[in-house]
Amino acid sequence: MISKARATFPGGVHPQENKRFTEGRPIEPFAAGKQIAVILSQHIGAICKPTVAKRDKVQAGQVVGRAEAFVSAPVHSPVNGTVKDIALQSHPVLGRAMAVIIEPDPEAENIKRPCPERFGPDFDASAWSPEAIRDAIQEAGIVGMGGAGFPTRVKLEPNPQKPKEVVIINGCECEPFITCDYRVMIEWTHQVLAGVQLAARAAECSNIKIGIEDNKPEAIRAMNAAVKECREAKNITVVPVKTKYPQGGERQLIKAVWGKDVPVGGIPPMIGVVVLNVATCAAIAEAVVCGSALTHRVVTVGGSSIARPGNYYVPIGTTVADLIEHCGGLDDKIAKVVLGGPMMGFAIADLSTPITKTGGAVTLLTKEEITRAKYDRRQTPCIRCGRCLQVCPAGINPTKIAHAVKHGMLDVAERHHMNACIECGCCSYICPANIELTGYIKTGKILTARAKKLMPQ
Amino acid sequence: MLERITVSPAPHVSKAHSTRSIMLDVLIGLAPAMVMAVVYFRMRAVLLVAACVVACAATEWVCNAIRRKAQSIDDLSAVVTGVILAFSLPPAAPVWLAALGGVFAIAIGKMVYGGLGGNTFNPAMVGRAFLTVSFGMLMTTWTVPATIDPSMPTIAPTNTEALTQATPLAWSKEAIKGKADAEVVRKQLPAAITGQIGGCLGETSALALLIGGVYLLVRKTITYHIPAAVLLAAAILAAVGYLIKPGAYVPPIFHVASGALLFGAFFIATDPVTAPLTTKGMWIFGAGVGALVMLIRIAGELPEGVMYAVLLMNGLTPLIDRFCKLVPVGGKTNA
Repeated sequence: MISKARATFPGGVHPQENKRFTEGRPIEPFAAGKQIAVILSQHIGAICKPTVAKRDKVQAGQVVGRAEAFVSAPVHSPVNGTVKDIALQSHPVLGRAMAVIIEPDPEAENIKRPCPERFGPDFDASAWSPEAIRDAIQEAGIVGMGGAGFPTRVKLEPNPQKPKEVVIINGCECEPFITCDYRVMIEWTHQVLAGVQLAARAAECSNIKIGIEDNKPEAIRAMNAAVKECREAKNITVVPVKTKYPQGGERQLIKAVWGKDVPVGGIPPMIGVVVLNVATCAAIAEAVVCGSALTHRVVTVGGSSIARPGNYYVPIGTTVADLIEHCGGLDDKIAKVVLGGPMMGFAIADLSTPITKTGGAVTLLTKEEITRAKYDRRQTPCIRCGRCLQVCPAGINPTKIAHAVKHGMLDVAERHHMNACIECGCCSYICPANIELTGYIKTGKILTARAKKLMPQ
Repeated sequence: MLERITVSPAPHVSKAHSTRSIMLDVLIGLAPAMVMAVVYFRMRAVLLVAACVVACAATEWVCNAIRRKAQSIDDLSAVVTGVILAFSLPPAAPVWLAALGGVFAIAIGKMVYGGLGGNTFNPAMVGRAFLTVSFGMLMTTWTVPATIDPSMPTIAPTNTEALTQATPLAWSKEAIKGKADAEVVRKQLPAAITGQIGGCLGETSALALLIGGVYLLVRKTITYHIPAAVLLAAAILAAVGYLIKPGAYVPPIFHVASGALLFGAFFIATDPVTAPLTTKGMWIFGAGVGALVMLIRIAGELPEGVMYAVLLMNGLTPLIDRFCKLVPVGGKTNA
């Protein structure tokens, strides 16, 4: 079964997996620290407005920010406590963003334990109507937890012009070091499946495929066993896909398990596909069945030099500093703190940056690991070897685009399909001349958006 | 603590290779041919390679120094150019000629374009073309390997140091004109495979070149597209000629195994700087090289045409790149 299917996509690279540090560590609950900063912009779409004021008391699960727009998701307090301030906080992607800063009540326990035991093979999604499921998802503030943060409710909304043909569940987790989705799949298998069935019902589509990279045989086995027992067994297929980065990219996964390409500039619903991450599915199950909001997520704190790496069930808004301290603190060897994995994650300078709904990992890289890569290694001229073209999963010409951006020729970059870039980092990874191709292309996209006044200066 | 943390764009890890390691792989790929060159031509091989490499590296150093640029010889690309240039020289070439070729290859073939990555034409071939045009006689005097079978057809010695001999390709040229027995030409095939023939320093042993080429393919230093296109195009054209008039033309395998075709297909045409970027472009480029080589060999005045074929196609590379537009996954954008 596993060896048979090697579904995949063209291009891609094979970075060192480095999952051994945390893949054997069960998910542990994580107590809230001294301060929680719930960022008001944790998703794609309208930014939330705070619904609480300074010195207000808040309860765990209470809404603290909300926007009226359709493409948006409310944010909630993960703890009982007092609103200390509403202020700018470091944000891994945006630089700075407004956040509701909450001081947890020292008397309260403020530790949430996951509840996978509430879900079993006899789970029946038909007890809820599709509308009820969608509303519960929206109320719980669920967004795509794999990284993009697109509001899940919007994805699932049925479109009479283009009915959903398939719901694809993303259990690839192709980034090195990260194991949070893997642990969720093997520990919360039935909860994930309950979420999958609920999501499919909400999307009004019964065809479900679960894509898992074949370097996770344990997860494939657990999922297959659970699928066999569940009510929707005949509609759900577990598809082992080839272990290759970026297999977990939405477009790459659709190509591998469904054989179709998402149009450039488009989104999967345009071809009748919904892709949901396994952690998102677990959150959906909890939101619909237990009525709890998305206030906690599993975060992998990984790295070769950290004392206690692991997978933690963390209140959203916890600072990176709290997590690192819990895991043994920074030592002299660590040279880079990355929110996310080493291929697409964001290197942060401010350790008070809070965890968001989309941040599945904190990866601590040693000087040695990044020296082998780009850090203080000389960038040499492009020798036009074409390796970046060979590995590019978007099928574009990274070196041409990067050099066009470097020389300020944004029109040339656009003509070479700069906006088809998925920013996976394969080109920079493979470049023997050490050129930050992905960095240039990202810069080009931002400059173009600014020139078109789609983005503030 | 904070000042120790590095911030840079993703990705934060990368494959452990570099321009230098790629060039080193090319040098390892050239090693079998080097061994054969030393076996056949003894000290001459060592002297010529050393002269070219030293001249290339020194020229690059001087050019960088004049332009006050960071030194770049540690990327080994000048060394590769030197070895390839030396391998494409006749074994009897004087050392000063080799050194002059090296200076020209790097100064005019590479550094005037701004250094590595900027040049349009393969530097080693630029150097060789300069020598061929300027010192025609020295560039076409072929000494035979020291280990050659004395029963092979030879030309009367023209200098006292060694026997000289028409190369197999020169013989095949004579055969086309009806001046040589095609049977004699055919007998040279086994010799061409081991390298027991006259020819340029590094190109005589087809087997050594193949081993080196396979090494480059296995190491993924080069992709198979260009060598495959060059060899296929050349073999097809040779086969056409052979089928039309078997008496005058030599079989395709002879063309592939002799002269600089294998050397060119694996080591010269695959120079990434001067070859197209896209897979489709590589096929067009390689097929162009192979076809031009055969056109020159069969219809041209010269017995061998790898150098001119590569240079011509190098000139076309920007056009090929422009022609081979990529369609991104998910179709063209509306931008």
